[in-house]
Amino acid sequence: MAKIVVLGAGVSGHTAVSFLNKTLGKDHEVIMVSPNSNYQWIPSNIWLGVGRMKRKHLVFPLAPIYKKAKIKHILAKAISFHPEGDSQEEKGYILVEYVSGDNKGKQEKVSYDFLVNGTGPKLNFEATPGLIPETNNLVSVCTYTHAEHAWHELDKLIQRMKKGEHVKILVGSGHALATCQGAAFEYILNIDHELRRYKVRDKATITWISNEYELGDFGVDGGVFNVFGEQLTSKELGEMVFNDRDIKWIKRAGVYKIENNTAFYETLDGVEASESFDFGMLIPSFSGHGFKAFDKNGNEITEKLFAPNGFMKVDADYTKRPYEEWTVQDWPETYQNPSYANIFAPGIAFAPPHAISKPRKSVNGRAIFPAPPRTGMPSGISAKVVADNITDMVKNNTMTASHKGSMGNMGAACVASSGYGLFRGTGISMTMTPIVPDYKKYPDTGGRELKNTIGSYGLAGHWLKLALHYMFIYKAKLKPFWWLIPE
Amino acid sequence: MIKTISKTQKFMMNCVLVQLFIFTYLNIKILFVVGKGHGGTR
Ligand SMILES: Cc1cc2nc3c(=O)[nH]c(=O)nc-3n(C[C@H](O)[C@H](O)[C@H](O)COP(=O)(O)OP(=O)(O)OC[C@H]3O[C@@H](n4cnc5c(N)ncnc54)[C@H](O)[C@@H]3O)c2cc1C
Repeated sequence: MAKIVVLGAGVSGHTAVSFLNKTLGKDHEVIMVSPNSNYQWIPSNIWLGVGRMKRKHLVFPLAPIYKKAKIKHILAKAISFHPEGDSQEEKGYILVEYVSGDNKGKQEKVSYDFLVNGTGPKLNFEATPGLIPETNNLVSVCTYTHAEHAWHELDKLIQRMKKGEHVKILVGSGHALATCQGAAFEYILNIDHELRRYKVRDKATITWISNEYELGDFGVDGGVFNVFGEQLTSKELGEMVFNDRDIKWIKRAGVYKIENNTAFYETLDGVEASESFDFGMLIPSFSGHGFKAFDKNGNEITEKLFAPNGFMKVDADYTKRPYEEWTVQDWPETYQNPSYANIFAPGIAFAPPHAISKPRKSVNGRAIFPAPPRTGMPSGISAKVVADNITDMVKNNTMTASHKGSMGNMGAACVASSGYGLFRGTGISMTMTPIVPDYKKYPDTGGRELKNTIGSYGLAGHWLKLALHYMFIYKAKLKPFWWLIPE
Repeated sequence: MIKTISKTQKFMMNCVLVQLFIFTYLNIKILFVVGKGHGGTR
């Protein structure tokens, strides 16, 4: 009987554990280790952050779902990795620490035959001094508790605006190398929408600040889309949308400090500037969780499992090369650790080989460009690939991973919607194939297959976002035929 | 020059009938993109 341990009940970990349980659960042991007793559908935090959804709409307890599916859930956080075991434990194990109940604080070894690391990112607020939610007029929408606080603050701001006060709102990247521009973009559109709904939009100056070279880069080097029947670059699309909503923008900006409700930044051309705000939502940089790893004798082998940024090394090509020499082949296909074939890292937990957008430095040497995003779809797909490989390995008694899903050979759908309800919303929907542009295969169309790289702006995109919300929550709750819903 | 959204385009963006059609198209497109599958590159 094989024992498979999955770390992290987020998009990738929950997808992996659900599929592994479906394919192997009856005859093998499938265990989830996660410090959070709830599942959260993170993309809908945006609605929570503008008061249009309540926590109960996007967060639900995992206990009844795992109980029904017979998945053992250890409410603990991983502390350290021991892939070779130690003098007492033959198998590889994870040292975990319980986070609640009578066992709170207790540490335990959880051994495994196969390990899936789906621990996602650490929200690295500390990397930007002063970027701490609930201080300096700052909020965040990265977790549901953050998003609830964001709405609380936005609501207070709206009340001040109703009394006639003029306010400044700043949304975007909180670090020169931050990623997840899509989430910030969606949040700024929703703030604009809500202020119009409350009839106070004229009382706010809304500004976007980003480390992107051009608007719409989103960390994937932008794209070319067919919108309203004409071909638009993501830059043109982004500028058109912001211009239409009277949102100002600052691009090529590396925020390095927040002090006295002011963001200090440097632009690529070396200009030092600052922007004060009454309400700021700036996405922090992401890193790995800083796990350490040890061999059988207790010697530290962290560099065998993790890259310097703390994310897990997988089957990517990490050779340092200039941008011009990057290829899609650098990107991982199986998410398997090269040193330990029974360890995998899908979703944000894997260390990308490099950025996707062109890396740039300011004249003063500060690197200012978006880190590569790994959104819900690639997180889910990579988790399914990992689950399929482990299933094959267990059933066929082999250590070869034959299922593959590279971000250089995978399409994605992205929706940035504003508004809420059936008839009051606008969404920008985009599909792009592949996510990592393949400039060799598609040299004339920005590295993408144009017929599968489309954009749309309107109510339909908003419906899509609503539909995805209900569909993915249905799937995450493992309701009948959940596995038929694609990642 | 920054592109602007014309009045007709704005009307289309909010017209339920037109958007129903686009919604169907987008769903088919996404199903196609997802259904096309994924694989390796090496
Ligand atoms: C505000 C916002 C909006 C977004 N909107 C979209 C969108 O519209 N569409 C889209 O595709 N993507 C969106 N994303 C991105 C999407 O949420 C991520 O791609 C996805 O959550 C990544 O999945 P993951 O499993 O890698 O990480 P996560 O979902 O972050 O899951 C990681 C899990 O690991 C657990 N964990 C952490 N530390 C430990 C530990 N030590 N031990 C065990 N478990 C641990 C955490 O509790 C968590 O449950 C958005 C992100 C944000 C922040």
